[in-house]
Amino acid sequence: MQTILAVDRLTKRFGGLVAVDDVSFDLFEGEILGLIGPNGAGKTTVVSLISGTITPSTGKVLFQGAPIAHLPAFRRSRLGIGRTFQLMKPFPGLNVLDNVAVGALFGTGGGKSQLREAREDAAKWLAFVGLGHRERQRADELGGPDRKRLELAKALAMNPRLLLLDEVMAGLHHGEIDEVVSVIRKVQSRGITVLLIEHVMKAIQSLSDRVLVLHHGTKIAEGAPQAVLNDPKVVDAYLGTRRV
Amino acid sequence: MMRPIGSIAFVAMLLALVFVPWLAPPALIQFGTTTLLLATLAQSWNIIGGYAGYASFGNSVFYGIGGYGTAIAMVQFGQPFGVGILVGAVLGVIFALLLGLPVLRLRGHYFAIATLALAEAMTGVVSNLDIAGRNIGLVLPLRKGDAFFYELSLGLLALATLTVFWISRSRFGFGLIAIREDEDAAGVMGVNTTLYKALAFLLAGFFSALAGGIHAYWITFIDPVSAFDITLNVMMIIMAIFGGAGTIFGPLVGAILLASISELLATEITGMASLFFGLVIVVAVVFMPRGLTDLTRRFPGLGWRYFRENLRLHRL
Amino acid sequence: MSLLLQIVVNGILLGGLYALMALGLALVWGVLNIVNLAHGAFIMLGAYTSYYFFTLLHVDPFAALPLCMLTVFAFGFVLQRYVLNLIVRAPMFNTLLITFGVDVVLTYLAQIVFSADFRVVNPSYAGANFTLLGATIPLVRALAFAMAVALTLTVWLILGHTRLGRAVRACAQNLVAARLYGVEPRTVYALTFGMGAALAGAAGGLYGVVSQINPYIGDPLTAKSFAISIIGGLENPLGVVVGGLFLGILESLTSLYIGSTYTDVASFGVLVLVLITRPRGLLGKTT
Repeated sequence: MQTILAVDRLTKRFGGLVAVDDVSFDLFEGEILGLIGPNGAGKTTVVSLISGTITPSTGKVLFQGAPIAHLPAFRRSRLGIGRTFQLMKPFPGLNVLDNVAVGALFGTGGGKSQLREAREDAAKWLAFVGLGHRERQRADELGGPDRKRLELAKALAMNPRLLLLDEVMAGLHHGEIDEVVSVIRKVQSRGITVLLIEHVMKAIQSLSDRVLVLHHGTKIAEGAPQAVLNDPKVVDAYLGTRRV
Repeated sequence: MMRPIGSIAFVAMLLALVFVPWLAPPALIQFGTTTLLLATLAQSWNIIGGYAGYASFGNSVFYGIGGYGTAIAMVQFGQPFGVGILVGAVLGVIFALLLGLPVLRLRGHYFAIATLALAEAMTGVVSNLDIAGRNIGLVLPLRKGDAFFYELSLGLLALATLTVFWISRSRFGFGLIAIREDEDAAGVMGVNTTLYKALAFLLAGFFSALAGGIHAYWITFIDPVSAFDITLNVMMIIMAIFGGAGTIFGPLVGAILLASISELLATEITGMASLFFGLVIVVAVVFMPRGLTDLTRRFPGLGWRYFRENLRLHRL
Repeated sequence: MSLLLQIVVNGILLGGLYALMALGLALVWGVLNIVNLAHGAFIMLGAYTSYYFFTLLHVDPFAALPLCMLTVFAFGFVLQRYVLNLIVRAPMFNTLLITFGVDVVLTYLAQIVFSADFRVVNPSYAGANFTLLGATIPLVRALAFAMAVALTLTVWLILGHTRLGRAVRACAQNLVAARLYGVEPRTVYALTFGMGAALAGAAGGLYGVVSQINPYIGDPLTAKSFAISIIGGLENPLGVVVGGLFLGILESLTSLYIGSTYTDVASFGVLVLVLITRPRGLLGKTT
């Protein structure tokens, strides 16, 4: 299997706080890697380091063999890295279609050069995530679950090779979760690699090819979902050590 | 975006305006020229403030630089106007790049304050330069014929508006809008925010400088205080906002309306222009912060509730 | 060497006044997140108030300070309560624009009412000075400096140690919670803005004694107050003091070594530099 992303001894310090501590892992092309860990474990920080919102204190990030740790975010997007944000921020003044069109215009390889083409692309991706009927609505009028779909569509419109999903299922109920799971499966079937931060364990179990666990900024487990989720270290991290 | 009726109306209006110098009294031609130049300033502000969302309070810097570039070329180096205006424009662009790159790294009101400070500083810098005539300024060669300047200003405004029109339907424009709506998200989605902001600032500087150059030659005089007049910033911003920032025709409508009303008032009471603009700002910002274009679009549906809505959203 | 000392002393005296000038702006900005572009106009109003109390009623300018403060306070209170409160939750740009509008209106009205002539407040002791450590210190400047320091300390104490101060800080941090604790934000905002205005008025009252007054002094002073607030940093209440002293000394030195026409360039140059390199100011943290 080809490695699409290699994270090597990645560390990020904010003042005195070490948010990510010497984390290393490989991401294989076409797989879905679940990234879990208690709140504050550093998961979003790792994703931000990969997508370029922040730069590492030390360590390397290699995308398709090339080092990207110090590239600005927009260059990494052009290379094919897309991400969604936990706090969904649609472009408020634009309608749903145009929100996604931005992704199509500026995505991998520089995106499209024509507005019309970009909008056509956007329409297709909106249909893909199930938001086709809301094209003309103002993006800030969408409700929670629809906002997540929009986030996803925006990232997908960039034609990413690697998609970083940050808690797309937070706050959804069972039926909605199942829908998002099937969309993510469709994404994988198009050959896109997915890194999935989640707290919803059933989604992690059903989607992930492998799972990685962070705790206090360090990697404490990595492997097949069943094995990892039953690892006593992981259970400990989530439930805390029992005090006798 | 624009519907075909809009562009037809625009072209029609443009053609009509071309013939004004043959039909109107001198005072009206002069008023027209001033308004056209102000509208160009408003439109150029629209590019950086309206589309990119970087509210510059110091675009008068480029107006002044354009004016001085033109004046110095013509007075100190004996160049014809054609060369002078080119020098002014090139200087405007160079300064936009030099000043823009550091200042565009600031966000929100810090950016606004920095541009304001730059504008204030420029007055001081220029009044110390011998080549610019220090505090006294320069007197430019006289060219008779208001019609010439009127048509030139009209042409400049048309060019600026066409540029904004192109921006509104281009990938570049979309990038600017994304930056305005959410700069971080725009970056993550692949927009080269630094480059785009600089380009927007450059365009704004370019058109402002040209306006400054035309104005300097027209009134045959330039000095630091009038060239870098801070109140120009108020006017261009409020014209763009009142008409509708981030739209193609908003700044034009705002400029023509506000300049006309201000002119009418000025004939009644001298010096009223400042008072008028000040009051317009206060009222407009409270009741119609998104300008006339938004108002005309939503008032038919909402009626007076439009104003109440704006209040409700923003009051303490 | 004593020339340099004189210059530095001049700078410090100026700096104290500058600090007071910027204090009102920094207070309102830091606490209410309102950027008041009409701040200089308030200073101007304070100066004229002092002038008229002195010329018409022969009140000593220092004694008239409370009156200046009260007058401008009232004005600021009303402005905030009935106009600015309407756009508090709007994007910051709206605040900038509206205060810009207020500034323009005030300047225009001042020009109409007071005329554009230069005015000075000249109490009988205006020319007196004394020597300290080899430097000549004009009495009025020393008094102005002392008043400025006293007022700054008072404000700092009020904010930190009184109920009003706590209410103000509560509103700044969390409006909803503040409401739940019985604080009425509309009034607190108006009171705070009024305080900022009052401080500007005091600065204006002192300004009239050390410099000339006309309707147009507002804008450059607003810009200077910004420079001071940013250079010093908004996070630390001592920021304006540091910023004021820094700017005062810088302008004094510039005036001597480069030329008095370059003082503005120096001030704003430093402002832009600080904004780019250390936007949180000399006393702010770097990240």
